Amino acid sequence: MADLTHSVPRSDAGNVARPNPVLDILSAIGKTILPVLMTLFGLAALTFFIGRMLPIDPVASILGENATQDAYEKMSAALGMDKPLWYQFGVYVKGILTLNFGDALTTGKPVIDDIARVFPATIELATLSIILGTGIGIPAGVLSAMYRNSWLDNVIRFTGLIGYSAPNFWLGLMGLVLFYATLGWIGGPGRIDFIYEFDLEPVTGFHLIDSALAGNWEIFRNVFSHIILPASILGFGALAYISRMTRSFMIEQLSQEYIVTARVKGLSWARTVWVHAFRNVAVQVLTVVALSYAFLLEGAVLTETVFAWPGFGRYLTNALLVGDMNAVVGCSLLVGVIFVTLNLICDLLYRVFDPRTR
Amino acid sequence: MTPKSIVKTRVIVAATAAALMSSISLPALAATPKSALVMAWNIDAISTFDPAQVGEVVTNELLQNTCDSLVDFDPKDESKVVPLLAKSWDVSEDRKTITFHLNEGMKFPGGAPATAKELAWSMQRVVLLGYGNAATLTEYGFTKENVKERIVATDDNTLVLTLEAAYPTNLILQAIGANRVSALLDEKTLTEKSVNGDFGNKYLATNTACVGPYKLMQWNAGESLVLQANEDYYGNQPKLKRVLVRHVAEPGTQRLLLTQGDIDIARDLSPDDLADLDGKPGLKIERVLKPQLFFWTFNALDPIFKEEKVRLAMRYLIDYDGLGKSVMKYLGVPRASFAQIGATGALNAEEGQPFKLDLEKAKALIAEAGYPNGFEATVLFGMLPHSAPIAQSIQQNASKIGVKLNLERMANAQLFSRIRGRDFQTGMLAWQTGVPDAHGNASRLIYNPDNRPEAKLTQIPAWRSAYQNEDFNKRIQQALLEGDPEKRNQIYYQLQKDTMQQGPSAIMFQMYNILGMSDKVQNWTWNGFRVYYDLASK
Amino acid sequence: MTDKALISASPPRSGYSAWLRAPVPSSPFHARMQQLWLQWRQLRSNASALFGLIVIVIILVAALFAPVLATHDIFEQNLAARLLAPSGQHWLGTDELGRDVYSRLLFGARITLYIALLTTVIVAPIGLIVGTTAGYLGGWVDTVLMRIVDVFLAFPNLILALAFVAALGPGIENAIIAISLASWPPIARLARAETLTIRKSDYIAAMRLQGASSLRIIFGHIMPMCIPSVVVRVTLNMAAIILTAAGLGFLGLGAQPPSPEWGTMLSSGREFVMTSWWIAAIPGCAILLTSLAFNLLGDGLRDVLDPRHG
Repeated sequence: MADLTHSVPRSDAGNVARPNPVLDILSAIGKTILPVLMTLFGLAALTFFIGRMLPIDPVASILGENATQDAYEKMSAALGMDKPLWYQFGVYVKGILTLNFGDALTTGKPVIDDIARVFPATIELATLSIILGTGIGIPAGVLSAMYRNSWLDNVIRFTGLIGYSAPNFWLGLMGLVLFYATLGWIGGPGRIDFIYEFDLEPVTGFHLIDSALAGNWEIFRNVFSHIILPASILGFGALAYISRMTRSFMIEQLSQEYIVTARVKGLSWARTVWVHAFRNVAVQVLTVVALSYAFLLEGAVLTETVFAWPGFGRYLTNALLVGDMNAVVGCSLLVGVIFVTLNLICDLLYRVFDPRTR
Repeated sequence: MTPKSIVKTRVIVAATAAALMSSISLPALAATPKSALVMAWNIDAISTFDPAQVGEVVTNELLQNTCDSLVDFDPKDESKVVPLLAKSWDVSEDRKTITFHLNEGMKFPGGAPATAKELAWSMQRVVLLGYGNAATLTEYGFTKENVKERIVATDDNTLVLTLEAAYPTNLILQAIGANRVSALLDEKTLTEKSVNGDFGNKYLATNTACVGPYKLMQWNAGESLVLQANEDYYGNQPKLKRVLVRHVAEPGTQRLLLTQGDIDIARDLSPDDLADLDGKPGLKIERVLKPQLFFWTFNALDPIFKEEKVRLAMRYLIDYDGLGKSVMKYLGVPRASFAQIGATGALNAEEGQPFKLDLEKAKALIAEAGYPNGFEATVLFGMLPHSAPIAQSIQQNASKIGVKLNLERMANAQLFSRIRGRDFQTGMLAWQTGVPDAHGNASRLIYNPDNRPEAKLTQIPAWRSAYQNEDFNKRIQQALLEGDPEKRNQIYYQLQKDTMQQGPSAIMFQMYNILGMSDKVQNWTWNGFRVYYDLASK
Repeated sequence: MTDKALISASPPRSGYSAWLRAPVPSSPFHARMQQLWLQWRQLRSNASALFGLIVIVIILVAALFAPVLATHDIFEQNLAARLLAPSGQHWLGTDELGRDVYSRLLFGARITLYIALLTTVIVAPIGLIVGTTAGYLGGWVDTVLMRIVDVFLAFPNLILALAFVAALGPGIENAIIAISLASWPPIARLARAETLTIRKSDYIAAMRLQGASSLRIIFGHIMPMCIPSVVVRVTLNMAAIILTAAGLGFLGLGAQPPSPEWGTMLSSGREFVMTSWWIAAIPGCAILLTSLAFNLLGDGLRDVLDPRHG
């Protein structure tokens, strides 16, 4: 599972008073743009480097193993593989700057189109997962903090840790065997039953929304029955992380003096916790949620493999394995942009809303 | 929270719960549509639908159902040839000219007339483009320079093929006539869509434009593919109007889909799932031997494997029998000869596989070759599911005679580029021929006209293993032009016996085309070379 | 909970116990030992952490004594006895080549621990050095190093590892290098954050005034302060490493056959999930249990070593 705990900004960092929030935002943006560009350039360079190192021959991937040398050299020239390295790097950078990633070698379509096709599947799955993970994870984390060291806390923490520790491809496999094959409760692998696939008019690319827009509840139900298991499994992982972080934020808050004051004043415990304490950790929690979402968006390769989910993670992995560098570059930059953007948003949220930096 | 938003939340919760409940109460067995065939298949390999370029089995099968070729394999007997685009053909006295008479009134999807002129263009195009499949024609003397004179439409319904030598007519019909290179493409559309003189190659990457029972409706790479019956087809309309293929990479997942009734056919079931499903009510297993060989190839440039005796010893480490009865039971049959069962000139099943696991003999052979204490070598293999168990079985047997084999598994693309570049010691991979004649594999697995590294005959497995035997080369040439079928067979029989002892690779198994199917599907028709979607019904 | 251990301390005993319990430490070494002992008591009172520790010890023992505990040769194949269900003869059944699953599981523990430990040994120092250097020196060094960290962080672990394995070729050693490349950045970030708080403290300022070199301050005074939180982080990381290694094995790019790596076992077992469920279920459970144990232990260690992050 993706490692999520690294970049939560520490609450005790940057405790400097800032007088003007507007100026603050502007300077924050200024300070962030340059590093963002550096990160993106680094990402592009790393991708090129990996591409150079890959012992996979993209020409052989396209032409298959039986192609003649003649055809091979022709394709090699068409891809610019016969040019010197510096020239290839130039072409590569130019492509990135003009947002022209070329055609994916495996599908023959522009990489941008491919991504536009596979990304909605991942967004839909990630969104539902994060809704499940947040909806259960935050209350669980708060309860855990309220009843610290009680049996409830232990149960929540232990369950969370299982979500954190289980190989999710294995959970997926076992879940399919149980809920699909044995019990028949849910739809199987894929996003939708094949019989409905061509009745659904793609508007947004999100099957749930498309079927709801069309008012076709039969398809909606079918889509839901397909997405619920992978979303639950990914949501479980997100839940584990969210509840864990919420718990620790809340524990810190609950030890503050104002909580004691509030209680002395006669506010109910539940109200103190949910309204006053939680409000103060909301931004921190939001950051955690945003980061979990970023990682889900970057595609759960293994879960997508097990569930035959035609999403982003599988597309990227496939591209990597056949040496389809155009696709790999497009995908990596998208991943980078998602990561950087969400980090940026979190940063700004902090600066603007965190009571201690105000 | 305001009362209103609470109500809203409640509604959402209720709706979600309802959706959940209803999904739970879905009937366990969904049905596939009556007029469509629904298949789960690993279709990752598809990268283009251009008949000049396609070189792998999945797209080949799809093309055969969307693009009719000049002639066809007899569904019941693949070594016989039957009419398709051509309703008949004449052969000249010297066997060098074949005149095909095409069906009249053929149309492309959409209604434009399809004639011999477009067919000649389509076939010339293959040679002029020079992709992998050009070899199918250049092998028999067609070149970029002469193809416009050698493949000619004399009128709308007549196509004349002029050969440079007196090749066996049946071989030419099988190799060229029934091959995707004789697909009838829509010249007008492709010329319009042409980019930089590519004869529409880019357009065909995501489309089909030819005469056949089906046409490609939709293809989402790594997701799904739809074939739709071609209303303008000259032959009989297919019984099933649509063929839906869903990409499912996991064999276990395919099994689940099949047993749940969500698909009609699962194409990549694992042997143990096949064994388990065999005989289950509502399901059936269909299989047919295909012209694909799984083999272990040795690099003759390697100081160890250049020794003929070492290569022979390796054959005695293969537990043909044990593997054939367990791991390979539903996947293939043991086969050591390069000519596949069912091909003209092939040894029968028994004579074509004389080896058995014999550690003593293997040990003696490597000792004779100068390795009494064994040696260490690497085996490369790809992602084919049976590669790993076979490699491990051989590895274990080898360890008993002091030979240490290191296994290295890699992505298929990587494996191919290592083998093509002669950058390997030994490797395991599959090879499929398009011709039901011993010549098909003899000309690739044994024949090597030029062994120099700079010759770069990378499409020839014999070259990849740096193996050249002048005597074998001569016999293969001789057999090709031998007019007497019986004499021709005799040459091949002896050649197979000799190459099993000396050849560059240990052929291990001939593979099945095998699938699990709902018993609702009737008249599933196939042979080793072709699947006939248009004959299936429900 | 942190105080419980102290309050419930048993009456004083003689020897080591008394020495460890002495109210005033007599030497820095004495003080350190007393602290360690205290932390151990705290950890011991944490049931779930203790459980994690016990599980890890059991797995360690299983790995160390695998040759003794195994009932069969893990490479010996028997095509006639493949896919057998668990029985007295084969406690956890046999796999697709008739090898004993129980014995392979034991030897697989060696590989899993080897990967987890070696990766950690590679990653922790790199992360520490990069993080503390960036944090202490600040300025453009910080900017550049942190951008590099960001670049690596932007990729999901598995994809990055996958890319490197594809480039380097499959195998355990390459998997370790690949996973290391993918998992040092979070540690660098953590070490940097720690350094930023330590840097402001008076004693570092004092060192600087005395003319100590940056190198000496970083290695001698900042790094040791970062170690507790890094240890916690690294323990939790082991779980992630085990999962990534298993993921690589599952995709066929991890340890190579016939190695009994758990992910690889699971991967070949998934073919038989409907017919012989144990072949996939058993290594899956082993992975789950091991990674759970490291998480539990890491959680417990955090309470003891790094209470600020509760």
